[in-house]
Amino acid sequence: MEDYKFLFKIVLVGNAGVGKTCLVRRFTQGLFPPGQGATIGVDFMIKTVEVEGEKIKLQIWDTAGQERFRSITQSYYRSAHALILVYDISCQPTFDCLPDWLREIQEYANSKVLKILVGNKTDRDDREIPTQIGEEFAKQHDMYFLETSAKEAENVERLFYEIAAELIDQARSKDGTNVNKTTADAIGLGNFGTKATQNSCCSGFSSNTSQTNCENGNSRSNT
Amino acid sequence: MSDDLPDKFDLIVIGTGFPESCVAAAASRIGKTVLHIDPNEYYGGVWASFNLESFCALLEQGGNKELRNASQKWHVAETLKVAEAESDTVAGETNIKTDAAKQNVLDWSRETLLQQSRRFNLDLSPKILYSAGRLVQLLVSSNICRYAEFRAVDHVCTRFQNNIINVPCSRSDVFNTKDLNIVEKRLLMKFLTLCMTYGEDKTDEDALQFRGKTFREYLQEQKVTEKISICVMQAIAMCNDDTSFEEGMARTQQFLNSLGRYGNTPFLFPMYGCGEIPQCFCRLCAVFGGIYCLKRQIDDINIEADTNIASVVLEGKTIKAQHVVSAPGHLPNAFLQRNVGVYGQAELVNSLSRGIFLSATPLGSEELNSGGGGVNLLRLLAGTQEAILIQLSHFSGTCPKGVFLFHITTTAQSDQPAQDLAPFVSQVFNPDDENAPKLLYSAYFTIMGRERTSATPNVDVSTTIFCTSTPYYELDYDKSIISAREIFAKLYADAEFLPRAPDPEEIVIEGEDPRALSENSLPDDLREQLRELENSAENMDIEDTDAAQAGECTQEDAETQNMDAD
Repeated sequence: MEDYKFLFKIVLVGNAGVGKTCLVRRFTQGLFPPGQGATIGVDFMIKTVEVEGEKIKLQIWDTAGQERFRSITQSYYRSAHALILVYDISCQPTFDCLPDWLREIQEYANSKVLKILVGNKTDRDDREIPTQIGEEFAKQHDMYFLETSAKEAENVERLFYEIAAELIDQARSKDGTNVNKTTADAIGLGNFGTKATQNSCCSGFSSNTSQTNCENGNSRSNT
Repeated sequence: MSDDLPDKFDLIVIGTGFPESCVAAAASRIGKTVLHIDPNEYYGGVWASFNLESFCALLEQGGNKELRNASQKWHVAETLKVAEAESDTVAGETNIKTDAAKQNVLDWSRETLLQQSRRFNLDLSPKILYSAGRLVQLLVSSNICRYAEFRAVDHVCTRFQNNIINVPCSRSDVFNTKDLNIVEKRLLMKFLTLCMTYGEDKTDEDALQFRGKTFREYLQEQKVTEKISICVMQAIAMCNDDTSFEEGMARTQQFLNSLGRYGNTPFLFPMYGCGEIPQCFCRLCAVFGGIYCLKRQIDDINIEADTNIASVVLEGKTIKAQHVVSAPGHLPNAFLQRNVGVYGQAELVNSLSRGIFLSATPLGSEELNSGGGGVNLLRLLAGTQEAILIQLSHFSGTCPKGVFLFHITTTAQSDQPAQDLAPFVSQVFNPDDENAPKLLYSAYFTIMGRERTSATPNVDVSTTIFCTSTPYYELDYDKSIISAREIFAKLYADAEFLPRAPDPEEIVIEGEDPRALSENSLPDDLREQLRELENSAENMDIEDTDAAQAGECTQEDAETQNMDAD
């Protein structure tokens, strides 16, 4: 088992081309991917950070291109702890779409999810949305606000570290390690083995439960 | 917006229901270019879940091509104020118990329920998963499981002498249950252990003796009591009087094999409803480059005579594809009128009659609903007909706290779902029974089914257009997966169906890991080597956990034996 105190799921939304993937890759990999094009096969990125002396695992989810035609699945928003809404400060239409995104977030995301508005691409000199306008919009809609540049690595670390710090505070104030209490009982199939061992794994009738248990884990390697 | 789309794909999938999403994900996973469209503005088609408001609106407009015969009824007042006024007029003539039940009902009105609309996820086609079933195996083996969470079903129930009783699933369940006496407990344990080991010995006398007989006859021969016979027939093997011995045994084993994996019962229900499942497959498709467009109308599909390439006309724009896979209801009329051969196209048969019910109180005893309400499964019988009832509480993320959601599904006998379901509904929501849940809202509809019959003309396999299947009357997704795989095999004969997607952990942070990012672009022989490496690595892991679990087992066994002695 990996050593970390909390695991937080962070999802990014916003119009295509505002630099969501670049923000994630700048933060997790420290690089700015040249050129466009979706990263095939990459689902979410993981980075373990240390905040306030605690090891925190951040699971950062990208839209997988489904935002292109406004077809993000609801399941993408489920059980997210924080949601980063991104626009491009040099592109008015990406800012104008924010109310649409907020409607979608309100519809599908947990109402208590931490929301952060990010104006990306501060390196561009053709700014169309003044910082103050973004700030006011964030204030109106009860969101944190930050301007970033994935290209220049400006404020990217700060963005994710502040989210982590805020989520830790939330988790601690709820006095438990489960940030999202309603899904505390939810089962993920991935941790098949560990779950089964912890819970009443051998409550089955069969004496060879452990064997059958593993068949499933095994099946993934069947070709 | 269609203008931004590429004009050529390997595969165009129309409809985002379960089988379509399966095929789309599988094709995208092996590197095919996929365009996945849905004329609806939501994912899932007849496999979708809706919030209360959208669900009511869908029924209000009379459903659609695939959802017909819709009706709905509110059993509570418009607002709480009206309800209070009404209750004043009848006060004074009821006893304490019904007062309490009424109080629960009075907590809700149409208005207060709709205020919580978002908290509802009402499934058109609800399913329950066997923990070791085909879908769970596919989710794990493909790594799609990372997109979903599940709730273990709390209780498997059955009706016995007009009561709803808990069917003990685990060994400790059997010893703890108050519904069975000590002799019955021993009989049940003995019988289930027998089933578990059945088939290990090829020369088993039973196997020979009962070949061609029914499972019921086999049960009778085992001299179990009626109560146990009902538990086994209704809840464990889920069979009818004429189910064959082999089939009944296979189902019992499926049940037993799924035990002890996640929760107390062998079953799982997806958090936030079954509508999540197709979306998980869509996400995988998108991650591997599939393009998604909801709310797009398909005007027509043409097939080039010499090349068999399909031209799909999407809101005026023509897009070419090697193959088209479509949900049966979404093929455009213009296309259907030309009578082109479509693989899998079928007659309107095997529809499902569906009922959705909301109540402020759960079904059955407190024991079945400890902790604020169980996610429970109950199979109902009425004459030769059967129905599946799923009770959901807020723990499943499909309804708000204090509300219970009931799904009842049976095979359609007529185009009047309320009539088809009436014999089952009266068993559980009898208004004369004080303990029965009082309904807040009820809705009925038919999910139109299409299946191939002997009348369906055979279609040349070299066809370009493939039609998926509608939801089957089955607990799990087995048949749907089989039919999706069948289409995939017709499209890409030798390709692997949903091989495991790499974990993000496998993508090395410092520098790119070529394996994770471009597994598809690797030559086949290298991929094979890679797989072998992974296999051997995994086998090592498994041995470790195996040993650890074996240790656990002995301890648990010892505990249950102690309980037995007590």
